[in-house]
Amino acid sequence: MPEIKVTPLGAGQDVGRSCILVSIGGKNIMLDCGMHMGYNDDRRFPDFSYITQNGRLTDFLDCVIISHFHLDHCGALPYMSEMVGYDGPIYMTHPTKAICPILLEDFRKITVDKKGETNFFTSQMIKDCMKKVIPLNLHQTVQVDDELEIKAYYAGHVLGAAMVHIKVGSESVVYTGDYNMTPDRHLGAAWIDKCRPDILISESTYATTIRDSKRCRERDFLKKVHETIERGGKVLIPVFALGRAQELCILLETFWERMNLKAPIYFSTGLTEKANHYYKLFITWTNQKIRKTFVQRNMFEFKHIKAFDRSYADNPGPMVVFATPGMLHAGQSLQIFKKWAGNEKNMVIMPGYCVQGTIGHKILNGQRKLEMEGRATLDVKLQVEYMSFSAHADAKGIMQLIRMAEPRNMVLVHGEAVKMEFLKGKIEQEFSIDCYMPANGETITVTTNPSVPVDISLNLLKREMALGGPLPDPKKPRTMHGTLIMKENSLKLVSSEQALKELGLNEHQLRFTCRVQLQDPHSDPDTLHRIYTHLKSVLKGYTIQHLPDGTVMVESIVIKVSSSAEDTNTKVLLLSWSYQDEDLGSFLSTLLKKGLPSGLC
Amino acid sequence: EERTSGLYKDLHVYQLEHPTQVIEWTSGRTVCVAGFSPSKNEILELRLPRKLFADENKGLCAERDFKVVHGGFTDRPVRCLRHVPGTRCAVTGDGLSSNLQVWDLGGDDSDVIRRTGSIEGRRRRTGVSEGGSSIAARPSSPPQILHGAQISDVQLTELSSGQTLYQLESDSADPLSSLHFLSDAVFLAGCSNGNIYVADTRTSAAPQLSPPPPPPVSSGESVLWWTDASAGPDPSGCRVVRLSSSGQALVSDLRNLGGAVSRAQLDVQTRRCGPDDVRVSWAPALDDCIAVSGRLVPKATTDKMRTASKSSHSPLAGFSGAVQIYDASVWTSELQEARPLFEHRGHAVSPEQSDDGVPPILVTSHVWHPERPRTLLSAASDGSVHVWDWVDQSAADKR
Repeated sequence: MPEIKVTPLGAGQDVGRSCILVSIGGKNIMLDCGMHMGYNDDRRFPDFSYITQNGRLTDFLDCVIISHFHLDHCGALPYMSEMVGYDGPIYMTHPTKAICPILLEDFRKITVDKKGETNFFTSQMIKDCMKKVIPLNLHQTVQVDDELEIKAYYAGHVLGAAMVHIKVGSESVVYTGDYNMTPDRHLGAAWIDKCRPDILISESTYATTIRDSKRCRERDFLKKVHETIERGGKVLIPVFALGRAQELCILLETFWERMNLKAPIYFSTGLTEKANHYYKLFITWTNQKIRKTFVQRNMFEFKHIKAFDRSYADNPGPMVVFATPGMLHAGQSLQIFKKWAGNEKNMVIMPGYCVQGTIGHKILNGQRKLEMEGRATLDVKLQVEYMSFSAHADAKGIMQLIRMAEPRNMVLVHGEAVKMEFLKGKIEQEFSIDCYMPANGETITVTTNPSVPVDISLNLLKREMALGGPLPDPKKPRTMHGTLIMKENSLKLVSSEQALKELGLNEHQLRFTCRVQLQDPHSDPDTLHRIYTHLKSVLKGYTIQHLPDGTVMVESIVIKVSSSAEDTNTKVLLLSWSYQDEDLGSFLSTLLKKGLPSGLC
Repeated sequence: EERTSGLYKDLHVYQLEHPTQVIEWTSGRTVCVAGFSPSKNEILELRLPRKLFADENKGLCAERDFKVVHGGFTDRPVRCLRHVPGTRCAVTGDGLSSNLQVWDLGGDDSDVIRRTGSIEGRRRRTGVSEGGSSIAARPSSPPQILHGAQISDVQLTELSSGQTLYQLESDSADPLSSLHFLSDAVFLAGCSNGNIYVADTRTSAAPQLSPPPPPPVSSGESVLWWTDASAGPDPSGCRVVRLSSSGQALVSDLRNLGGAVSRAQLDVQTRRCGPDDVRVSWAPALDDCIAVSGRLVPKATTDKMRTASKSSHSPLAGFSGAVQIYDASVWTSELQEARPLFEHRGHAVSPEQSDDGVPPILVTSHVWHPERPRTLLSAASDGSVHVWDWVDQSAADKR
């Protein structure tokens, strides 16, 4: 039976890194290649030994697909392609291709420069890796080779995030990556058509979470900013150029307008230029509102948000500053942080996850004394706030996505199967589909039932219909006879006569003959009659005829009797049958070899 | 939104796939909710977000979401759900019959809530009163359930054996609106006609009956009542609050249920209400505070609506979507109008959005956190569940 295999790479129960292998129609595909941010050793990389024990991966993989630029989805990509070795195609959307190398380089700098690691990928490796990337557009089918095709769908979540549809022949898989089912201020919601894939692969953590509303998160953010400003403090928000920064700016601008606030909000210039550049490039990836705004004006022409100059950090009074980089590990945001950390009226709001080794990570773990360069210590007195704005789907969202795509099977990764029985039951009940939950390193096999489209000749169809019987029921299979012709890429079902004609072949009839010797002291006609009587009693339900031309016919089998030349009591029976009656013919010859019973008249 | 920043210390808003009529604590951090559609429903045990409880390091905690820790399926509506304290057991009623379902909420090794059995209720008189049973769990072990649909049905059943340990001796067909244990053996039964019965499971003596005050003259509809009893170490210090469908609230002492220690005319009344449509509860950790939710309408508005000929939008929508908190300590023995100390309107559809055809959002349930003084959970008919910690503005103003 045809089947699709799915294996999440990794060990044990750990979540936090995505790298999934799919085998479909003889093709091997790697979905995402993430780094586990919690480990410092080789455990942070996916376990590629599943693919091959040693050597390069090029021969074992047909392609690699990256869903979006978060490090837990692409962080191990340069390691995989340049250090383990892979020279095949790597697919990702245009924005992902643009942003990935920036994040990878930042991450590399932190790991190597800050933490002094040696066995890590280099800047050159990142560049070499990106050369292997083939960018994808939304809803555009890309032929990876003659048989494998892929297509990207909009996932929301972050700029450029995609869900991927993979097809080989009539089997298909959809991988969601990270996605979001509700639109936010700068991204739309995930969308997919009713593509009915054999398997839909998604994260199990979504399914067991019910998310707090965006409004509440925003309310909390605004409240914290407002409280700090009211007491004369300064708010530092370290951000990456793209993504949440835009959301938060739009949010603050609206709030400032409504509350008639006067405190200045700054956005560092480097950020503005980069952000505008990317938004111009990838305008189709944002949502409707942003596109309308952008057409009218520059992304960052806000009334209340101005360009930052580093001298402003020393100005007295309240202010809000957005500065890069996002994890406080270097650059402007770190400089500002050093200046403001000592005052408890100030606040730093971390809008996302910080990698180990960064100042961001340390303060989010509650560290209040930091060792800086030159052995100086920094007392962290300002308020530290960790706010998660990342947009993920939840239990309701995953059900919505299943309803949209209508998969035949569901695979949830990164969960503990034993603890997901309810969820499995829920999906199975509501959609009547199987739900699989492979552990990391475990392979699940899903049997597919691919349908093969075949053209049927009109004559054959008409003939079948003319056979009568009940009207055909589309849900019930009906056996029919025909010849399947495979020509080029098409399959055609025709009647045997038509097939012979097309192929220029003659139809042959096969007939078998067999001689059986029998001892019978009667005349030839009498022996024949005795045979007739015998067969009639044994073969009830068959058409047996004693014909005037001196033969007995059983269905299409002909039996003749003649005497042997040497001895008139030795009869020679000639049996002849067509291929269609092979079984009956064999039976008859065996039966008659046993001779005639004595009681026959 | 900017108004709410001063009104709440914490506010979390969730959307369940299906609305719930029950919210029941199963631990200090987990609650059970369940659907009430006529056929297939889910029972979910949800863990509240860490951020709510991270009092010192709240800023460092980003986690704001509910986690579905256990779930199960039932093919009946769940109108009542009670957790049996000290166990992983819960009992549910479907609001149609007096039979109850018993559930195992699951442990660490599985996420499934499984039905383990059922309890048969008894019905001395069928057909007259509909509505399912009220349920209360006896505070002590071994686990025992007090249940019944009307006074004459009330019985105490031992969960493990199914044995009936006690039956309330009364012929009264008064339909129950709630059951409360005041101590290990003494319980109070609140009826929807306002009668209150107090009985002791150790004796077979007839229960003590206290009728409600006479209804106001003007009301044409029959008056419905809802009751709550405050828990406390000493049952004799327990107080009972009764709320009528005309918005009258009465606080009585257990020792003198016939009289009223204080009373107030709340700023609500009900419209076409059923016995299940309103909840009134004492705050477990905040002296004298009472929460009210359900199919309520502000009294002033209903009077206005009777006189107004046309109205471009429906202000009705706002109020059945609210949970109101009252401070009963300022009530006196004279019936006076009381204004709520706080109103949680988060569930309501805003007046601009509501059309005449759209049914208003109804708050189906609310509960107080057992220890955190101002933390509540509320659920509404649109599937929303809110967790909120409100700021006492009056206390803030006094500073």
